Amino acid sequence: MDLEFLGNLILASVRMATPLIFLSLAELYSQRAGLVHIGLEGLASIGSLVGFLVCLISGSPVAGVVAGAAAGVAVNMIYAYATISLCAEQIVYGMAINIFAPALAAFIYRVYFGAGSELVQGALMQAVHIPVLSDIPFIGDLIFGQTPMVYLAYALVIFTAIYFSKTKSGLNFKAVGEYPQAAATLGINVIGVKYLASVICGALAGIGGAYLTTCYASTYTDGNVAGRGFIALAAVIFGRWSAGGVLLACLFFGFCDALQIRLQVSSSDIPYQFFQMIPYVATVVVLGIIGMKKAGPKASGKPYRREER
Amino acid sequence: MKNVKWINVLIPVASVLLSLVIGCIIMIILGSNPFIALQYLWIGAFGNLTNLGTTLTRATPLIFTGLCACFAYRCGVFNLGGEGQFIMGSILACVVATQTGLTGLPAVLLSLVAGTIAGGLWAMVPGLLKIYRGQNEMIISIMLNYVATLFMGVLYTNWLRDGSVPQTASVPLESRLTKLFGLRVTTAFLLALLAGAAIYYFLFHTSKGFQLRAVGLNMTAAEFNGFAVRRYLLISFVVSGMIAGLGGSAELLGTQYYLINGYANGYGFDGVAMALIGQLHPIATIVVAIFFAALRVGSTTMQVVTGVPTSVSDIIQALVIVFTVAGLAMVKLPEFKAAVAKLTAKKEAA
Repeated sequence: MDLEFLGNLILASVRMATPLIFLSLAELYSQRAGLVHIGLEGLASIGSLVGFLVCLISGSPVAGVVAGAAAGVAVNMIYAYATISLCAEQIVYGMAINIFAPALAAFIYRVYFGAGSELVQGALMQAVHIPVLSDIPFIGDLIFGQTPMVYLAYALVIFTAIYFSKTKSGLNFKAVGEYPQAAATLGINVIGVKYLASVICGALAGIGGAYLTTCYASTYTDGNVAGRGFIALAAVIFGRWSAGGVLLACLFFGFCDALQIRLQVSSSDIPYQFFQMIPYVATVVVLGIIGMKKAGPKASGKPYRREER
Repeated sequence: MKNVKWINVLIPVASVLLSLVIGCIIMIILGSNPFIALQYLWIGAFGNLTNLGTTLTRATPLIFTGLCACFAYRCGVFNLGGEGQFIMGSILACVVATQTGLTGLPAVLLSLVAGTIAGGLWAMVPGLLKIYRGQNEMIISIMLNYVATLFMGVLYTNWLRDGSVPQTASVPLESRLTKLFGLRVTTAFLLALLAGAAIYYFLFHTSKGFQLRAVGLNMTAAEFNGFAVRRYLLISFVVSGMIAGLGGSAELLGTQYYLINGYANGYGFDGVAMALIGQLHPIATIVVAIFFAALRVGSTTMQVVTGVPTSVSDIIQALVIVFTVAGLAMVKLPEFKAAVAKLTAKKEAA
């Protein structure tokens, strides 16, 4: 294994980990406010379609990402209203979003392009080489020669880590996910925090989806999220609900994804599908190994009613 | 509460109507006449015996995955892996029916049994990880969907590929399921109805079924009552997988005959939707599955005749689940119950 192969592998790992980071952070914010969200796959699919369309029409990948975030927020408001205000079961409603949002994305695509359209390709976001830093041999280009979205992802991880551990607002946020009744008695607006979490979650999940069509592939296909929404859920569990842990987990899953692509190219005897299984099998194995230790927010998954004490 | 029963039917029906209204608005925006479109949707789904047969054929796999989701969730575990279990069942059925040289009834029976076992074993993985490692069964079962789909890919592109097109050999004519009344629908549909009836009987008319539901309603209470909670969790997962596996083998022997790219795509989540709209009642799940199949089959006719794209029907289906689940949550709210109580009290006073 030579240095160039290794370099390419790391570069690809970082690229593949980026959408997972956005999606995992989306899940982290949601769960920290007590909302387990298994509908990220759906949010990402609508984000990826809207991001693609806006990028195609405007020619600007940045506009695409912003639009993807907005679409994610819009769809997640349905989830937020149902689970926060109507106290619908979060798992059940997450599934509803997983069925609804991809159908909506497919519908918009079909209506916009007509039934039998050929593959349409949009613009891709270009890598930005940070001067000086990207000239560092070997690691320079790996870390500082990426698309702005990669930098955004890492900035968000750092921000999230500081927010949840060092700021009063972040601790209040966490209190809602741990013990909402107590948080309410301290004057925290529990419902407000939950809605805020849903806005953040929708935006990040939408960005994660839009990344796939504006930075990774230049086109939208049904099912292009390919289970990343669920792998992100696993990454949050694996990362023990902390921003740093989530980052490591995402890099690991990103590495699995990058590795499978390299292996597919390099060996022709083994059916390529076996390599494609790697990220999914790795998720199962990792979850099986880390076992049950309950470390998540205590009130996660439970509905909150103001009257209940 | 006397109101509970009718409200459980009212909410899905109201959701369907609301979704259809939104579907009609979308059709108007797209420049079509919704009444003509809906008319052809109906004709396409139920207009004559042939169409009815097609609808029931399309409903069959949805019934199986719906029952699969329904059974597991009755015990409090979420099996989102119906698709993977369905595919593993189809794979085993395909191997038995095309590779062993058996034909006729022995091949059919052996394929169905093999498919059922394969589905059960595939569901055992998340079940075991759930009870021994306390792990999230939803993520695991979904990951296994992708693995099963990819493994099926290995078979039709490589190991069992038949000829130049990436697909497996077809099930021989004499090993296919019998068609009913000369229509497309086969004995697989009867098998699905039978499975639904059996699950209904088990859940609501046997003591084991009662215990399983008790575990689903309140795991802690069930444990205090001395029910073997972990055993029920595992059994519910395995049986749920067996239902999907049986469905997969029946689909292969009755409708699809060979494995190909896109086979069973989306059936797992569709099944979850059926079960949720049917509120985890096996018979209601079957009714919902037939309704969804009708929307799908009818929408093809609608597209051909009126030009309204079939994806409008997909949107209607997706809206039904969004509305039903929200509606069912709404009527459980204390505020809603209070409002209803106030209303009935007023009526009595008047």
